[in-house]
Amino acid sequence: MSNVIQASQLTLAYDNGAKEIIKDANFTIKKGEFVFITGPSGSGKSTLLKALYGQLTPTAGSLVVGGNDLAHIRRKKLQELRTHMGIIFQDYKLVNEWTVSKNVVLPLMIAGYSSEIQDTQARRLLKHVKLSEHGDKYPLELSGGEQQRVGVARALSKNPVVILADEPTGNLDDYSSNVIWDLMENACQQLDTTVLVVTHKIPTIFSLPYRHFIIESKGVYEVH
Amino acid sequence: MKFIKNHLMFILPLMAILLGVEFYLVFDRTTDSYEKTLTEGYTMLVVSKKPVKLVTFQKLNKHIISSKQIERSNIISEVAKGVSKSSSKEILAVLPYFYNLSLDSYLKTSELGEIKKDLEVDKNIKRVETFGSSYNSSYRLFAFIKFTLKIFIIFMAVVSLFLIIKQMEIWKYAHKERMQVMEIFGAPLMLRSGVLFRVAFVDAIFATIFVSGIFFYIKFYWAAQSGIDIISDNQEALFQIGDIGILFGSAIFIVIVAVYTVVFSNKGAQE
Repeated sequence: MSNVIQASQLTLAYDNGAKEIIKDANFTIKKGEFVFITGPSGSGKSTLLKALYGQLTPTAGSLVVGGNDLAHIRRKKLQELRTHMGIIFQDYKLVNEWTVSKNVVLPLMIAGYSSEIQDTQARRLLKHVKLSEHGDKYPLELSGGEQQRVGVARALSKNPVVILADEPTGNLDDYSSNVIWDLMENACQQLDTTVLVVTHKIPTIFSLPYRHFIIESKGVYEVH
Repeated sequence: MKFIKNHLMFILPLMAILLGVEFYLVFDRTTDSYEKTLTEGYTMLVVSKKPVKLVTFQKLNKHIISSKQIERSNIISEVAKGVSKSSSKEILAVLPYFYNLSLDSYLKTSELGEIKKDLEVDKNIKRVETFGSSYNSSYRLFAFIKFTLKIFIIFMAVVSLFLIIKQMEIWKYAHKERMQVMEIFGAPLMLRSGVLFRVAFVDAIFATIFVSGIFFYIKFYWAAQSGIDIISDNQEALFQIGDIGILFGSAIFIVIVAVYTVVFSNKGAQE
């Protein structure tokens, strides 16, 4: 299996390198793997995720995602790389002035797919996340769990190489959380998508084999 | 209601700037023609011992574009009324030559003084009369009107610019969420700013149409009925078709600057 993510001596910091969050981290994640990253609050879990989608540039070392070193990537290339990623946020980050359907097909819209393909995909994905009747609604008309399912549908819409999820169930009740975990397990299993989830707690009911990294004292360590 | 308010909040300051631009264009054209009238109506008087050719005057000062000799016989007929023919001839023999000199543009009184000095260098020229005081009062009034209007236009533009900046702040917050989400998913700049561009572009079209409409009305209805000579005389200068292009170009320029400022200030998702 090929490497999708590879970090070598990776250092991440804020304030122009003054505030180090992660130092000299080394890890590799292969295609189709499901990975949990846990750690105490403020340990740098979300910072690592930001770096993975290019929102934060590594201060030192390298972070290669899909063959692109994010420490030296050009803006155009980063934009292109992001179109192969599905990103899920704790606060959903849906566009509230757009309908649910339009939110779902945002990655397809960016990639320039025709409106017919977008409509077909929107219907298929909303059916997949059990929101078929909500396509014409606006995000704020949905519950938190439903909004996150829209977020998952959006992340899946372009069959991404990697899904990055930042506390995807952080704001949800147990039932909604289980629905989200199911959807992400399916994506990993059926589409062979690499899924990397930052979370406080690994779900108790989880059927897939997974890898677990913990961030502690600026280091990223694999838990066996 | 909110939709109309959002548009008006950009259209109105944009219109104020475009009105300033159009006022400037109209005023420039009107003052040009007024200046031309003043220039054409102005001549300085030169008295010389011997006949002087135009080339000689032009060698002395480049602002002189024409010279017209006042017929000496006409002067004699006025001066020597009731004088015998032989005496008239004697007067004619000693009478100097009089010239009206026209200038190429409407000059300051200090420049008129310089022309006078240049002309007096020639030993043949006995006297130069610039009629400076009457010229000066017209010039000052003209310069004052020009100055106050420019100040008014600048003031209007500055106030409008502040209103546009205010609207940009509103845009920044209204479009922030969408642009940041689109950026995270890899949307290029043009796609991220597309909605904002469309909104601003439509506003630019409306602002141009409204301002053009106002000046069309002024030109074809108000000016014709105003009874004000200077406006009636310069009706053609009030609004020209080409102005629509200038207004639209200015509006689009403002839109591009405003939208890109908003887009670039929204770069980077806040988590």
